[in-house]
Amino acid sequence: MSQSLYNKWRPKTWDEVIGQDHIIQTLKNAVAGERVVHAYLFAGPRGTGKTSTARLLAKAVNCLDEDPAKRPCNACDHCEAINAGRFLDLIEIDAASNTSVDDVRDLRDKINFTPNQGRYKVYIIDEVHMLSTAAFNALLKTLEEPPPHAIFILATTEVHKIPATVLSRCQRHEFRRIPVRDIVQQLERMVKAENLDVEEETLPFLARQATGSLRDAISLLDQLASTEGKITLAGAQAILGTATGETVIQLMESLLEGDTASGMERIHQALDAGSDPRQFARQIVDYMRGLLLILSGNADQINATGEVRSRMAAHALKVEPRIIIRMLQIFNRAASEARYAWQPALPLEMAFVESVMLFNQEEVTLIEKKEAAKDKENEARLPKKSNQTLVSNEKGVPAKKEKPIIETDPLPENIKKNWDEIRSKTRAYDPITQALLNSCKPLGIYHGELILAFVSDVLRVKMEQGKHIENTSEALQEVIGETISIRCITTASERSRIPDGVDQDGMVATAVRDLGAEVVDSQ
Amino acid sequence: MIGHEWAVELLQSHIAHKRIKHAYLFTGPPGVGRRTLALHFSQAINCTQPLKPGIPCGECRTCRQFEHMQHADLSLVQASEIGGTLKVEQIREVQRAISLSPYEAKYRIALFLRFDEANINASNALLKVLEEPPASTILLLTAETPESLLPTIVSRCEILRLRPLSFETLSAGLQNMASIPKDNANFLAHISQGRPGTALTLYKDPSLLERRQEILDLHFHLLRADTIERFNYIKTRYTKKRENFRIEFIDNLQVWQSVWRDVLLFQTKSTESIINIDHNETIHNIAAKMTIEKSLKFISDLDKSIQYLDHYSNLRLTLEVLIMDMPHISF
Repeated sequence: MSQSLYNKWRPKTWDEVIGQDHIIQTLKNAVAGERVVHAYLFAGPRGTGKTSTARLLAKAVNCLDEDPAKRPCNACDHCEAINAGRFLDLIEIDAASNTSVDDVRDLRDKINFTPNQGRYKVYIIDEVHMLSTAAFNALLKTLEEPPPHAIFILATTEVHKIPATVLSRCQRHEFRRIPVRDIVQQLERMVKAENLDVEEETLPFLARQATGSLRDAISLLDQLASTEGKITLAGAQAILGTATGETVIQLMESLLEGDTASGMERIHQALDAGSDPRQFARQIVDYMRGLLLILSGNADQINATGEVRSRMAAHALKVEPRIIIRMLQIFNRAASEARYAWQPALPLEMAFVESVMLFNQEEVTLIEKKEAAKDKENEARLPKKSNQTLVSNEKGVPAKKEKPIIETDPLPENIKKNWDEIRSKTRAYDPITQALLNSCKPLGIYHGELILAFVSDVLRVKMEQGKHIENTSEALQEVIGETISIRCITTASERSRIPDGVDQDGMVATAVRDLGAEVVDSQ
Repeated sequence: MIGHEWAVELLQSHIAHKRIKHAYLFTGPPGVGRRTLALHFSQAINCTQPLKPGIPCGECRTCRQFEHMQHADLSLVQASEIGGTLKVEQIREVQRAISLSPYEAKYRIALFLRFDEANINASNALLKVLEEPPASTILLLTAETPESLLPTIVSRCEILRLRPLSFETLSAGLQNMASIPKDNANFLAHISQGRPGTALTLYKDPSLLERRQEILDLHFHLLRADTIERFNYIKTRYTKKRENFRIEFIDNLQVWQSVWRDVLLFQTKSTESIINIDHNETIHNIAAKMTIEKSLKFISDLDKSIQYLDHYSNLRLTLEVLIMDMPHISF
């Protein structure tokens, strides 16, 4: 098994640490001036050099070189022992596996012994954010005043999980994401040393993909180096599942033509050819960001060839920035959602269709606006005529009136008058009967039966079940002294009660239709 | 292996050039072949008489033991059930196991299945050993997506993103390797959505196909039904409470979602990658009655419900909300 490149290339001297000059300078000065403190906290994103720097510091304080400014020398016994991973006084603790308070107590018991070989006992506690609260608290006293021969170095990616009491006892160093340029330079050095054959544009591509993490970049290079032959951009794209720039542009073209069919086909082609849907979505987001940059006059910040840039500029002219931003959000969602894993292509497809719809809709409104503006002009020219047409239009379309299902005879006076009483009488039998009657309307008499109109099937079925109808007849009998049989119907006009602008299949419509709700106000 | 030639070639060249990494992450949808590939890889590096470097014989004792996940040097770590949780104790246990040198094979293999089910403590506990594992140890992880893991885990592994195969590749593979008749192979390739493992499971167990048919029929029925009937359906389904109710419903909703993806494809006139080809006509009819907006909305409604169920929401409430929003269609 070969050692992975990122382990092989762990920095062994201060100068080999990339992109963290602000920290390295401080630590170097501390070592040179022999002013190393007893507790450090290294925080920062993955792959920025926390563990490596911690080991370097451990090496520097134990180095035997006489000139403190030259430490670590990488030549003395101690340096070599640390490089080989067999130095007894460098204790590296995996806090994520040893999270409990007992682990910390164990550390506390042993820390008082003097170092075996070196000047200092260095405790590197990696992934320190995973310690339990009790473990953190058990560490506090030791961390504040450790024995003079002990140095703590805590390293973590999630500094917000560290208690304030721990933070205040450490000298804190924030590691930054490494700039693309620095990553590329480092990769170039490695390529030379490892005798790899790499196509020119590949390294910047890898560096951008790594989003500031040197380990990610080196891993990618390692992955590519494991295969035979020259490392090419196409190979890198295949491993990462990146679509070619051309595919992205073509998809954007379909989008800006409002052509869903061809766009979907392009998506499927790209996926069949090995693109990762999420990666693809990310690329589209990138592209749209480019369009925004062009529209805001920052075209020179785009990382693309002149030809691509001119095509981007042409695309940028077709859309308003407002719409680009919304489409960008839509695609961004598709790129960042961790769900849908069982149907990987779906989020991308949905994002595309949604964007096309948005674009088409906006385009239509644009056209409408233009036409409206034209109409206005015409109106201004011929005010009278347009007024007339308006009036005739209003008259020409009569208000629609829903027909009731059954033409009933009018409701007898005695029922009409006493309806409230009848309703309250039913309460004595069953409160639910009253509640049901409250939500219906006595329509009238039809073939000798009293017709009760409900607005929804749910309520009508409820009424017909159980003893509710019986209860009502009895209440009727009591109040008006007549026996009338009862029939329940559902009024058909329910749909019309759903106000305009409410989705017919939506939640509100269902509430209105089936549950008898009423739209009072919309906000 | 059916498909994934690029991944196989990549791993073979790692073995041939003796550049095997200490940690690999296989990602992809369930049934796509993540575990199969990981096991093949374990065979390939440990086989006692490989045909060529990187190609296992498949017959020696080591190969057979790996195939059945019974080899002494294979530590298998996974949540106790699908949809369960992988716990930190399991990681600690495997850390002890891999600190020993291999018993008989060349490499000790730690295989972590469905690592996206690992809880936060378990993931963190693996970090250090994943970065610098003991010598002669190889860690293999499988997960649905790299994004579902901690970024610190992902950046320590070599990632192989397995994708669903194209229908043609899978169909051809099924015909050659499992000698399934052409028509059936085509059909399986579509409804398994390009996932060989799923296709083979469906082929071996016809009752699964029947179940799928039931789920689809039910969905079509519910689309036509009015709200009362839909509520009744949930009520009747709910009275007989069963063990894996939640998982079962997630399963159902995923089938429903596949129908609606097809509807969306019909509406956008790109019908080549339809999943439920046996219901082409019905789906076509639904597509004709719906607007794209509504399809999109219902797909994301379904997705939300699946997500809620994943997080142990109230099952009945979730379903009732879903069916209230479900479009009414007569087709």
